[in-house]
Amino acid sequence: MTIQIALADDEVLARQKLRLLLRDQTDCEVVGECATAGETIELVRAARPDLVFLDIRMPDMNGFDVIDALSAQAELPMPRIVFTSAYDQYAVRAFEVHAVDYLLKPFAAGRLSTTLQRFREQSNGCHPGERGEPNGERHTTRIVFKSKGRIVFLPVSEIRWVAAEENYVRISTGDETHLLRETMAHLQDRLDPQLFLRVHRSSIVNLQHVKEVRMDTEGETAVILVNGQKVSMSRGYRSKLQRLLRQ
Amino acid sequence: MHPVIFIGASVLVGILFAMQEWLNARRWGYKIGLGFVSEMWGMQFLLWGIICWLLWRFLRPFIINARPSALLTRVLPLSIALSIMEEMIWVLFFPRVPIDRPPMDYWHRFTFQLNAEFVDSIAIFWCAFLFFRVVAYYQQFREKETTAARLQVQLVQARLSALRMQLNPHFLFNAMNSISSLMRSDVDAADLMLEQLSSLLRITLERGEVQLIPLRKEVEFIEIYLAMQQQRYAGRVEQTLSVEPGLHDALVPALILQPIVENAYVHGLSKCTGRGNLAIDIRRDGKRVRMSVVNSGIGLQLGLEEPGHRGVGLTNVRDRLRLHYGDRGSLSVREVGTGRVNVTIALPFQNNARGTDEAARFDT
Repeated sequence: MTIQIALADDEVLARQKLRLLLRDQTDCEVVGECATAGETIELVRAARPDLVFLDIRMPDMNGFDVIDALSAQAELPMPRIVFTSAYDQYAVRAFEVHAVDYLLKPFAAGRLSTTLQRFREQSNGCHPGERGEPNGERHTTRIVFKSKGRIVFLPVSEIRWVAAEENYVRISTGDETHLLRETMAHLQDRLDPQLFLRVHRSSIVNLQHVKEVRMDTEGETAVILVNGQKVSMSRGYRSKLQRLLRQ
Repeated sequence: MHPVIFIGASVLVGILFAMQEWLNARRWGYKIGLGFVSEMWGMQFLLWGIICWLLWRFLRPFIINARPSALLTRVLPLSIALSIMEEMIWVLFFPRVPIDRPPMDYWHRFTFQLNAEFVDSIAIFWCAFLFFRVVAYYQQFREKETTAARLQVQLVQARLSALRMQLNPHFLFNAMNSISSLMRSDVDAADLMLEQLSSLLRITLERGEVQLIPLRKEVEFIEIYLAMQQQRYAGRVEQTLSVEPGLHDALVPALILQPIVENAYVHGLSKCTGRGNLAIDIRRDGKRVRMSVVNSGIGLQLGLEEPGHRGVGLTNVRDRLRLHYGDRGSLSVREVGTGRVNVTIALPFQNNARGTDEAARFDT
């Protein structure tokens, strides 16, 4: 299924960059471009895109006004939104209106690929938090934070493991780590226990990334992740993990 | 204050008291010479002027910092002792006082004088003491204001030089040249490098007027800088960065590490042809935070001969440490092993108790 995309930005070069980058994505089709908020609303009504890349500061209204106007029209299916902006101060608001992502300009091609991959996962419903489990509501599916000059909307499924560092937690994803001001207890509370397991006072692992549990010659147990990362484990958690892995 | 001015002012006060006594005496019909009264009062205030000036000269820190308990246990006895001493000296100068009495011996006169003047002397001492405290507080207040103003200037300079780092030919144009080169060979890498350059500029511009920032923010900045340099040096430099977990919230002056890491590249790593390495290690050492940057390269001598701006960057770091921490902050630069340079900053450990502004948010 192709993803029908609309581009909304008052700068023609900004739209061109997106159009060129999206050309490399086989499953994406740009169905229209617009330079003002008014045009965007018209375009969404006419073309019914799945996804809109929306600039926040536009000449007539801002991106959030566009969303308000669109959601006021009940008959219209609401497209998913990716915000693009040179400013980072709207990130939390974007997160609250369930935007797919928030791209700070300028962004690299890799960053855009990540955004599209997240959109695909969310629309295929293979996103772990959206499987409609009974107590799924309590558990978070995404976290938003600032890291290294960027805005990150991180789906929890991408977390491999979490390590405590005093008042902070270090979240490891595939290729990088992020430092968040959080407690292990609070984070554990927000994560789905079917997917995340506390294996040590100072570590939580994502079970989907666990390869095996290994015991070394000194009798110390460690969890080995798919990427080879070794996370040490307390004895008390071992039986629990083995039970979960057998499921 | 110059001692002559101080003691002169004190004598002037004495003369004013003398005039008052002389006027009173005349009003009550006593006959007493103005010169004589002035001599007596003048001498008393001259002595006190000298005593107070000596106190101010030699005991200033104690006067400023004395706790209330010390006022009772140390200053009160001091005031009594000094008052007695002052009277003893004064009596020496005026053998005819008290007047209109048969001649007395020294001790007799002394006890008479002490009886009449002791309370006054104590009062003079405490007035002077109080005056000193107020003046000292005022001076300290002014000093703090001046220091704050100087820190502000230094921070602005640091921000400007960080901006200059990004905008100077060395950094900006070389980064752009790298991007330009990558545009032909590896478009994604060029894209990524532009993203990183923007992140550095964004963080520098957004940081605002804050002087001290949590260490993790400084480290975050360094991480982006390192990632960029890693691309420019195409993996030729092995970088390690380790931060003791308990220090994420430790307060450090903004942009204190960046000039040092920049120096490591500009004066060290860029000069060596083979593989190089850069190790940044931040750990707690008792009550201090120790940040060390070790790089391979061509050592200190050669690196310094070059008319570069190493001196300026490090001078700025040193100045800011001194302004923030006085003697408790330090910067050391030394050569370790062949061609390796170790730059270490040490500063007092201060935890940012307020926690931070931006926590992560979860959806539900």
